[in-house]
Amino acid sequence: MSLAAREITKRFGGLTALANVSLELRPGEVHGLIGPNGSGKTTLLNLLSGYYRPDGGSIVVDETDISNATVQQRARLGVARTFQKPRLLPTLSVLDNAMLGGWRDARAGFISTAFSLPQVRRDERELRGRAEELLHGVGLSHAIGRRANLLEHAEQRFLEIARGLAQRPRFILLDEPAGGLTPAEIEHLAAVIGIMRQSGIGVLLVEHHTDFVFRVSDRVTTLDVGKIIKHGTPDEVKRDPEVIRVYLGA
Amino acid sequence: MKPAGKTLALLLVAAALVTLPWWSGDQYKLHLAALICAYWVLIGGLNLVVGYSGQLSIGHVGLLSIGAYCFTILAGTHGIHPGIAIVAAGGLCALCGFLLGLPSLRLPGFYFAMATLAFALIVAEITLAQTALTGGGVGLAVPGFPEPFDTPAGTYWLILAIAALVTWLTWNVARHTWGRGLVAVRDSAVTAQAVGVPVFRAKLTVFVFSGFTAGVAGALFAVLQSYITPDTFVFDLGLFFFVCIIIGGRGHIIGPMVGTIVLTALPEMVAPLAKLGNFFYGLLLLAVVLLVPEGIGRVFELLMQRLRPRRVESHVVKPDLERLARAIAKGKAAG
Repeated sequence: MSLAAREITKRFGGLTALANVSLELRPGEVHGLIGPNGSGKTTLLNLLSGYYRPDGGSIVVDETDISNATVQQRARLGVARTFQKPRLLPTLSVLDNAMLGGWRDARAGFISTAFSLPQVRRDERELRGRAEELLHGVGLSHAIGRRANLLEHAEQRFLEIARGLAQRPRFILLDEPAGGLTPAEIEHLAAVIGIMRQSGIGVLLVEHHTDFVFRVSDRVTTLDVGKIIKHGTPDEVKRDPEVIRVYLGA
Repeated sequence: MKPAGKTLALLLVAAALVTLPWWSGDQYKLHLAALICAYWVLIGGLNLVVGYSGQLSIGHVGLLSIGAYCFTILAGTHGIHPGIAIVAAGGLCALCGFLLGLPSLRLPGFYFAMATLAFALIVAEITLAQTALTGGGVGLAVPGFPEPFDTPAGTYWLILAIAALVTWLTWNVARHTWGRGLVAVRDSAVTAQAVGVPVFRAKLTVFVFSGFTAGVAGALFAVLQSYITPDTFVFDLGLFFFVCIIIGGRGHIIGPMVGTIVLTALPEMVAPLAKLGNFFYGLLLLAVVLLVPEGIGRVFELLMQRLRPRRVESHVVKPDLERLARAIAKGKAAG
């Protein structure tokens, strides 16, 4: 029961972005992924969620090789993600954006939808209920009917998380979720991540904000120029001389 | 507006449209209304392609032409029942849409538009060259609808009913999961993928649907024209359909509908505008793109917002963790 990268290598032209990197994300744990700019964090996240194909090694979920599965197939297997720069649908409401996350649970096809058959209304009721609960849960009660382009930055980040959770994921990959948040909002984010862990979701946390990562993670992996330099508990990683040298600074 | 107010407004509009033959005054206005409805049958379907999934098809006039010839040849030359001929025209154009979309919908926006342009030009050449089938440049006389739709009022009602049906179908698609998926395809393909929307298949599905409505529209259009030649389906018409949607606003249904009505009726009702011809369309398009790039539909939305009382808007995110835990647990239990 895990989402894992096994000895992954990824090259862009002559540049090796990742070399023999392994990482395992288990349900119910928060796994921090840190490293300087250009160390390959987002590349690894794109490999796990299916936007890139590895040049070597494999991506496995529950021991099944999914290296060549599309992004959509991985979504069906329970892998959700957010983006470094929130990618919302600006002309739709906050509720509609969250409901989009339930796409794979809508059973009505195009023709049944066009004729508004009972299944469509059942889907709609179920997805609306789910999305509303999640929006209240992540703290967007005040904005449910608002157009997404009217949201402030922090609201956009939390809406992306709600959309990801509406996918009923087993694993959620968060790409710099604390970026641009105030200290108070980061506290809220930490609490929300805590709830995800408690609910048995595996959370991969790609972040620059190292204090935050060390505080909320169960395990931390540190990357530098495409290689893992340290992997372990937050305390082990924090004290590692190599990590201090390349990343944390003396 | 409250739901009751909306229903009332809808009923009033419907009553006005149904009773149009009694108060329109002259046959010409009735013909014009029927023409608008026939255009809308095509534009309503095309709206899902252009306005929702964001695929810029400018070649739907080619599908309109195929639908019109299919209907005329089946109902006229072969004497098949016009009802069956309408459905056959839709079916043939759905197939054409499938065959055209299969290679071209994988292309990025601009190249897709060029592919649909090429398609329209090819169809125009074929209808001109296949003299035995289409009558070539001489054209074909189109049979009318059978009783009780053989009067101008009857024809209008039939076309109005089909237009209303198309509106209802597209409305259903737009406001449910499919509509959200299509908007995701338009605004952020990356997001669409992330939540599991099969991007290409979604685009192809609505394109085939728009092919069907374009074919049906072709049949209705042909009947209103009563005589068709390849010149009936000039390329300008394809651009006109496209412009109706852009002026109406992407991601709306009412907007493009208003666009269709205004762009069809204004040049006919106001003689000086007719003289301007394409210049008028160009001017209107320019005005909309510069002043309200989101189209007429967005203007309506903003006006409605003005009518509502303004509240002080909060932006404070305050999670309710117990509720979140319950919501996630419920999702897990659903399996």
